[in-house]
Amino acid sequence: MGMFSRMSTIVKSKMNRVLDNAEDPRETLDYSYEKQLEMLRGVKKGVVEMVAAKRRIQQQATKVQENVTRLDGQARQALDVGREDLARLALQRKQTALIELQGLDEQIAGMEHEQEKLTAAEQRLQAKVTAFKTKKEIIKAQYTAAQAQVRIGSALSGISEEMGDISLAVERAETKTELMRSRAGAIDELASAGVLEDFTGREDDIGKQLARLSADQNVDDELAALKSGLSGGSNPALPEGR
Amino acid sequence: MIIRILTEGQFNLPGIHLDKLNEIDNQLVEAVEAENREQLSHLLHQMLDMVREKGTPVPIDELVESDLILPEPDITLEEAEEMFTGEGLLPG
Repeated sequence: MGMFSRMSTIVKSKMNRVLDNAEDPRETLDYSYEKQLEMLRGVKKGVVEMVAAKRRIQQQATKVQENVTRLDGQARQALDVGREDLARLALQRKQTALIELQGLDEQIAGMEHEQEKLTAAEQRLQAKVTAFKTKKEIIKAQYTAAQAQVRIGSALSGISEEMGDISLAVERAETKTELMRSRAGAIDELASAGVLEDFTGREDDIGKQLARLSADQNVDDELAALKSGLSGGSNPALPEGR
Repeated sequence: MIIRILTEGQFNLPGIHLDKLNEIDNQLVEAVEAENREQLSHLLHQMLDMVREKGTPVPIDELVESDLILPEPDITLEEAEEMFTGEGLLPG
């Protein structure tokens, strides 16, 4: 069986489970409508939670940015008083903070994307629920057991498919947010424990080593630049002990 | 033909595109079996782009059942595999 015939079967079978309990089809309509409202509240709550989680990571990024500025200043101060060792340490920490910052920015972008999707899902569901309500009232008003069955069937299958889709969207958004949240939490812990060096995340060993090398290189370069600034600028960098 | 892209919404796609869709679908199955991530993502985007470009979005307040349901764009290989073997993507 192909990908989409498989998808279609899966989604539809999940949908039907929600709806086959009531004896009078009119009850099914009301029951389904209750479920729709419940789901709509769930989606709205999901959007709010997503925004809150994003804000938290943004605050974290701001803090790290401040840290970068502070470490930069400290490196200069250290050189001013001839403490190259301290300057190097500050620049190393700055490199780590920059990596951290990049990770946070990626998370923020990812969450913004999820938030957009959830918001779109919310609007779609809202529109469908409103349309369903109208349809439901019409069907109920004109109801006679024999003829209503078919129309109820088509209205229900349309909305229940939508609900299945949206519950999937919400679930995926939540999984992703949870993942980002736990990553952000891990950064927090590492930051407070002062062992940020190890936070290079998803990269393999070689990637880690390369990242470290390039961070070291950046430190050397920055140190050289700072020194040449101190020595008046016309002179190229002092010889360095690499 | 009404086609739903999961997490994105429904499109009305003229029936003449069905053959092409089927063709990509078969390749998708092969890509999943071969555990070829790149190919999976490439084919999926090709498929979804076709639906988005050749189809017209179903009005937001219309309640219709889809003839076909397609996966969301960022489905992973693991999720695709699970679709073929396990319980499927939706929680029970």
